[in-house]
Amino acid sequence: MAPAIELRSVVKDYGRVRALRGIDLTVEAAQIYGFLGPNGAGKTTTIRILLDLIRPTSGTARVLGLDSQRDSVEVRRRCGYLPGDLRMYEGLRGSAFLDLIDSFRPQKRDPQYRRELLERLDLDASMPIRALSKGNKQKLGLVQALMHRPDVLILDEPTSGLDPLVQQEVAKLLEEAVAEGRTVFFSSHVLPEVERLSHAVAIIRQGTIAAVEDITRLKSRAVHVLEITFAEPPPADLFALPGVRELHRDGATVHIQALDGLDAAIKAIAAYHVVDLRTEQPSLEDFFLAHYAAPDEERVEDALPAERR
Amino acid sequence: MRYRLNVVEKSLRDQKWQIVGFGIALLVMAALIVYIWPSYRTTVASIQLPEAVQALLGSDLAYSTAAGFVSAEYFSWIPILLIVYTVIQGTGAIAGEEGSGTIDLLMSQPLTRTGMVVQKTVAVCIGSALIAGFGFLGFLVSIPFVDIQITLKGAALASANMLPMALLYYAVSLWFGSVLPNRTYAAGGAIALATAGYFFNTIAAAVSSLSWFKYASPFYYYGAGLPLVKGIDWAHVLLLLGIAALFVALTVRSFARRDITIGGASNLGLRDMLGRVLG
Repeated sequence: MAPAIELRSVVKDYGRVRALRGIDLTVEAAQIYGFLGPNGAGKTTTIRILLDLIRPTSGTARVLGLDSQRDSVEVRRRCGYLPGDLRMYEGLRGSAFLDLIDSFRPQKRDPQYRRELLERLDLDASMPIRALSKGNKQKLGLVQALMHRPDVLILDEPTSGLDPLVQQEVAKLLEEAVAEGRTVFFSSHVLPEVERLSHAVAIIRQGTIAAVEDITRLKSRAVHVLEITFAEPPPADLFALPGVRELHRDGATVHIQALDGLDAAIKAIAAYHVVDLRTEQPSLEDFFLAHYAAPDEERVEDALPAERR
Repeated sequence: MRYRLNVVEKSLRDQKWQIVGFGIALLVMAALIVYIWPSYRTTVASIQLPEAVQALLGSDLAYSTAAGFVSAEYFSWIPILLIVYTVIQGTGAIAGEEGSGTIDLLMSQPLTRTGMVVQKTVAVCIGSALIAGFGFLGFLVSIPFVDIQITLKGAALASANMLPMALLYYAVSLWFGSVLPNRTYAAGGAIALATAGYFFNTIAAAVSSLSWFKYASPFYYYGAGLPLVKGIDWAHVLLLLGIAALFVALTVRSFARRDITIGGASNLGLRDMLGRVLG
């Protein structure tokens, strides 16, 4: 069976700007595949190439073995797509918009599944789209992508604007799609979301795939950032431990980053009088820098959260 | 895959109030002009218009005749309303959908870009025919009841004769919308061309040394109310429709080959635009 998605040396230039610098990626069928990267890394560009909304400067993109450009109509027939910048016909009611999308699809309509989706996402489709909140528009976008049970779901930032409960429901819907043998390819710039949803992850950074990871390995690579305030300044070499890096020191307050050295760091701290201890959610950028940075990028100040730079 | 006309359907539904609005304006104008003719006939019979003024009326039909009067008061300028409608649709078809960002979901459906452009064009053909048809309704409810020397057939032909020029400007604005960065530029370009076309024709008629200008104007080939008395000039119709078809084809060519932008391509440079023109 052909992979659900296959990109080979895909390059995309916008004028003199090279947005994609040779993307190679294979997404096997029947899994949830996360496409993780910071804003501007090339996620949306890659996704829009898959649907032939934009054309690569060079390289090939295939969906279910079909060429994205040559067989674009068939590709789009078999895909459900949620744009990252979701814009719908504001004047239509939600239900009329779904009818319109349905009218393009030769698949047999499944009004029952559509109703189920609306119910589970708690969306009233009788409202005009312009009256919907951002979150409700996002739900409508998800319903139109899912409702005809496409073989491949291509979702650009699917949970953006959704509250945690709805996000959980979306996660269930995606799991169900995969259980039916369909494939989900979604982009995100939020690490915990990708960890929670996906089975495998490709990490894109500055237009190239920085890494492809199994999700369990990704989780094991968690970055812990700790801010410890001691009663008095600790010894300078306290955190000279394997898997631990001291980022910054300000009197008795020390910022450290622990990869696999979390346990060692905690044990070292325990010997001193600790006044305060905070853990920070590392940003995606911290995570990248910790694991995938090019050698010349590995400078201490880069690893600090942006607001403290 | 089954062939569907859902984009035609959606476009017409979106345009329904425009079609009705423009249509009623035409209907009222047509009926009004026919109904006032008897009271004007005696007044205008004695009027001998200066050549330059006659030239501004869009045809060489004498203003003192019924056909000349209806031509000057209706068929010389009503097409401009029709052109306003077609230019709104032409710039909306691609540039408008790109500007509002709705094009991404539309073109992620199993629909070819050519199919999208062709369906939107069909919708505009139907829409303009409906608007012109409303205008004809105005003649239908007036001509049989008024002593006026024009026939319903003549009014029908002249009404239909407005369509080729309106579609030409549609096609030009469609093409502008596919090569220029946004809808405002496209509308500006199309309106400038329509205005130029109108004045080229009237200036050419008024200033004999510039009479060759008229060949550059769609309004000359259109001929205002001439079909009221002479029937349709098929060569002119074919010329206008041919140019319209050419621009639709150019649009399909450039749109099918380029990237779809969201929110308008405001950063589009001269080179990119040239690239779009050349496909």
